[in-house]
Amino acid sequence: MRYDLLEKPDFSMVQVTFDAPGEQMICESAAMVARDSAIEMKTSMQGGMMAALKRKALGGESVLQNTFTASAPGQRLFFAPGPEGDVEAVNMDGYTPIMMQSGAYLGAAPTVTLDTSFGGAKGFFSGAGVFLLKATGTGPLFFASYGGIHPVDVGPAGYICDTGHVVAFTGGLTYNVTRLGGLRGLFASGEGLVCNFTGQGRLWMSTRNSASLVAFLNPFRPVKRSNG
Amino acid sequence: MQIDIGYRPAHSMAKISLNPGEQILAESGAMVGMSTNVSMTTGMQSKPGGGLLGGLMAGLKRALAGESWFRNTFTANGGPGEVLLAHAMCGDMQVVQVPATGLHLTSSSFIASTPSVNIETKLQGFKGFFSGEGAFVMQANTQDPNSQLIFGAFGGVTELVCDGNLVIDTGHLVAWDSTLTYKIGKSGGGWIASFLSGEGLVCHFQGQGRIWIQSRNPVAYGQYVGGQLPPRKG
Repeated sequence: MRYDLLEKPDFSMVQVTFDAPGEQMICESAAMVARDSAIEMKTSMQGGMMAALKRKALGGESVLQNTFTASAPGQRLFFAPGPEGDVEAVNMDGYTPIMMQSGAYLGAAPTVTLDTSFGGAKGFFSGAGVFLLKATGTGPLFFASYGGIHPVDVGPAGYICDTGHVVAFTGGLTYNVTRLGGLRGLFASGEGLVCNFTGQGRLWMSTRNSASLVAFLNPFRPVKRSNG
Repeated sequence: MQIDIGYRPAHSMAKISLNPGEQILAESGAMVGMSTNVSMTTGMQSKPGGGLLGGLMAGLKRALAGESWFRNTFTANGGPGEVLLAHAMCGDMQVVQVPATGLHLTSSSFIASTPSVNIETKLQGFKGFFSGEGAFVMQANTQDPNSQLIFGAFGGVTELVCDGNLVIDTGHLVAWDSTLTYKIGKSGGGWIASFLSGEGLVCHFQGQGRIWIQSRNPVAYGQYVGGQLPPRKG
């Protein structure tokens, strides 16, 4: 199985080419863009209903996932996320888990297992979901975000990221949520909360925050008069 | 200081590499990420000697101009550091050197500048009121030939050269050289014709200088998408 990321970074799309019959890819529901005809699609709840519902409720993933199975060599599958923005691919090595922000997961090989992971009470304050989606196993994993996705390799010095911009990070990193700039910053900086990452690993950040777009558009909605 | 802009044009982000002790002043809320040896302080940035009252007035003017009240200063401590800055809206960014003659900016386009740039929010008076950009513009001045300023646009950024006269729709205006004089006015022959043309108000520029425009108008976009959303409660 080979993959390419097309149309990066504004309208990224994944192209997977299956080398052999029987190879599989699992995608979020509605992510498929196109496929060759010798690919079979099956809709299921990965890991059973309870596991799927848990991931839906806690990890922002769709309940139903689609499994695409090639029945001939050289078959292509294209898939993409809903919002405009970037897709990142990681080749899972079997050792390092990837933690993803709720809703960031796009697709993976069936050898990758997904579970929700409690982000801790710290998640409650982070603007980020309380729960993170945790991917383990081997093979390609794809995640997406509104905006561009910017990777940073975090070393011993750590890194600071606005909570609204965290997309994913490797399991070797841990974080705590703090405020920037002390008491004055609390009210005035507009920077809100940040994640202080420590450890060793890679952090992926989004260059845009969809909440800002929503906040911009909201005043343009028509106004419904009460008892008009 | 090194400024690199990536992810252009739609989701552009500026990576500011600071030498030890170097600072950058950024619009509130623009920070995406930064290294841990960078510290942030929040201030109202009044004119030197302006005192608390001056700071409050500067903050109030900025709030009225549609910007945030405060700006944040990022400082690299004890070694090199980096700060990632982005605009809230989809669009490109541009780094410019502020000329000795100064630069004007529309109020929402400022993202960051080196500390040697003095930024003032100016009331435009009556003429600004109808411009769709608020009654305020910002003016950036500096004596430092190495000063830099980053602004963000909605859509792509195009640099135009005004040699004599140029007419720009106010919703597409981002920044211009302060050497230019400008007047907000109607776009067509009469007020009714101007209104019917849908072009609204335009900025008549005169003189020699550069003008940066954005290829999309945020208000037009807001009306296009927002108008199709379900109503909110009045």
